[in-house]
Amino acid sequence: MVGHYLKTTALALALGGWATGAMAADPSLDLVEPLAEYKLYVAENTAKLVEDTTAFTDAVKAGDVEKAKSLFAPTRTSYEKIEPIAELFSDLDVSIDARADDYEQAEQDPDFTGFHRIEYGLWEQGSTEGLAEYADKLLADVKELDARINGLTFPPEVVVGGAAVLMEEVAATKISGEEDRYSRTDLWDFDANFEGAEKIYELLRPLIADDEADFTAKVDGNFAAVDEVLEKYRSADGGFVSYEELTDTDRNALSAKVNTLAEDLATLRGKLGLG
Amino acid sequence: MNDQGRLSTTRRTLLRQIGLGALGGTIAGSIGIHARAQDAKTAPQVVDAPPGHAETAAQHVPFHGRHQAGILTPRPASGIFAAFDVVVASLDDFERMLRLLTERAAFLTQGGEVPARDPKLPPADSGLLGPVIAPDNLTITLGLGASLFDRHDWLAGLKPARLQRMVQFPNDALDPALCHGDLSLQFCANLPDTNIHALRDIVKNLSEFLVLRWMIEGSVPPVPPAPDGSTPSARNFLGFRDGSANPDANDAALMERVVWTHGPDEPEWAHGGSYQAVRVIRNFVERWDRAPLAEQERIFGRTKMTGAPLDAPRASEYDVPDYAADPDGATTPPDSHIRLANPRTPKSERNLMLRRPFNYSRGVLRNGQLDQGLLFIAYQADLEAGFIAVQNQLNGEPLEEYIKPVGGGYFFALPGAAVGDYLGASLVNAARRS
Repeated sequence: MVGHYLKTTALALALGGWATGAMAADPSLDLVEPLAEYKLYVAENTAKLVEDTTAFTDAVKAGDVEKAKSLFAPTRTSYEKIEPIAELFSDLDVSIDARADDYEQAEQDPDFTGFHRIEYGLWEQGSTEGLAEYADKLLADVKELDARINGLTFPPEVVVGGAAVLMEEVAATKISGEEDRYSRTDLWDFDANFEGAEKIYELLRPLIADDEADFTAKVDGNFAAVDEVLEKYRSADGGFVSYEELTDTDRNALSAKVNTLAEDLATLRGKLGLG
Repeated sequence: MNDQGRLSTTRRTLLRQIGLGALGGTIAGSIGIHARAQDAKTAPQVVDAPPGHAETAAQHVPFHGRHQAGILTPRPASGIFAAFDVVVASLDDFERMLRLLTERAAFLTQGGEVPARDPKLPPADSGLLGPVIAPDNLTITLGLGASLFDRHDWLAGLKPARLQRMVQFPNDALDPALCHGDLSLQFCANLPDTNIHALRDIVKNLSEFLVLRWMIEGSVPPVPPAPDGSTPSARNFLGFRDGSANPDANDAALMERVVWTHGPDEPEWAHGGSYQAVRVIRNFVERWDRAPLAEQERIFGRTKMTGAPLDAPRASEYDVPDYAADPDGATTPPDSHIRLANPRTPKSERNLMLRRPFNYSRGVLRNGQLDQGLLFIAYQADLEAGFIAVQNQLNGEPLEEYIKPVGGGYFFALPGAAVGDYLGASLVNAARRS
């Protein structure tokens, strides 16, 4: 199936008159290896997501509020890293990762489930009461996601475009601090989104490095600048401090870098000859 | 940066395109073409673009000059004021930002064709004005806030002498999400879409440097001109003419004194710039509309329909009230808005400023009242002698019952850029020397 996508792409390339220096003679062949590696990366992350979610939901069901709180942010990171692929299954993305303001009745809405519903219970209500059913549903959804992703042929344009999609995620919902509004663990998600985007970019970088030296230098610099800002907020346990500690200056710096990465990474598909 | 030959060709293309658009209306969507081809010219369809005006679309304000455009330029019907936080790590970064901003502003204000790109890449332009950008009287005016100077060592000692962070006045209820900023851009054009397009272009092209902090869109109601082409001052959302007592922007000597920053106590790089005072002033319009007309007029000190001063109600808005003949304020109350703001004494000549406001309407508040008001923008040579002094005179005025300033900020509009130069060059050069 991957071959099918790639042949289509190659055909589209041959028909389009817009060849640029950046494009390899036959980019479909060049993409095979990065795509395979990316699939492996996603599979590792979904496996980890199932494992971590099991521990997290076990803690919730055991009524251990503190343990559940400590597992919330690290569990989410494997989801946030692979969001461009996870989002392909919009039914699961909604039930796993929707936020209260996706619903008219916000936290009280009966359809509000997933990580953020449990986060609301743990932090706002300080209790696991009534969370067992959400925990069961979350674990079932995550396992279903793992199964569906394992059976999925990765569309090349989704993988290549995924780097920019992750930056759009940060720009739209993370930079404002609305993602993890109860736990204030947003910086964990930031970091995971950046890692996911950088992974895609790093896999594709060799394909464009020769022809697009200015571009790769700029993108490399912006990823490094983001890392530098985030490093300041690392906690002793390797995680991150509360979003509330992020200064205005650093938030502006992150915002500018994220938007610029989004602009630049949005050209990756075109640079690789994918429409 | 734009050679003349290319520009004029562009402008011809532009006029042709706009002319065609105005005659035939635009047909959107390929399905419609077949169904409507025969009678498209005679029978307008519901989704046809409203007919534009080739003449106003082609209007352009020169970008380059000793002063920035958008200050003395007659105010068109639409404006956006946007404040940004600036992310620059060095003076070199700052210069790159100013050069890029100048390049975009020069292009957008003069108009031209949007460059074509490989369709596999995101387009260079949002496309919302089509393939050819009409200048449409667009001006983009760049200002800098005190926070930018305070944060960067390489700008130390170069802040304009009166530039400061806006402080809360007694009647203010400032919303932090509508205040201050490192950099301001004022967009003014005939049509709101022209401003929106320009803002989006700059947000896209300057993402590396600019983070949008807040913005307000505004408008003023156009009025059919008199036979000599003149129009009165536009009305604000309280229904009064606003700006009647503005100093004459065509009097160059007066503008040198009132609007353009000068003098030995100001850094030399700043000469020819202007302090920009911006205030987001909410109007309690429902309550105002329930106030008796006579009270409204006493509060302002003017006749509502004509704008004439109360001591000469049959005169025009431009007639000067004679306060000497009304020392107790029997006709024009001493605490009326215009008498407090400008008592028309030799001393109050110092406090003149050039107001250039827009009205804004931003939906509905939680209490079900309309969120409407005045996007007050004023330019002056000296911020303290201008806006700050006048606002201090106004504190406690009866109008306060009907208005609530909720945002704004002080900025310094840079001197203009000569052809081939960039906005802020004098500041960057001064910083390199120091």
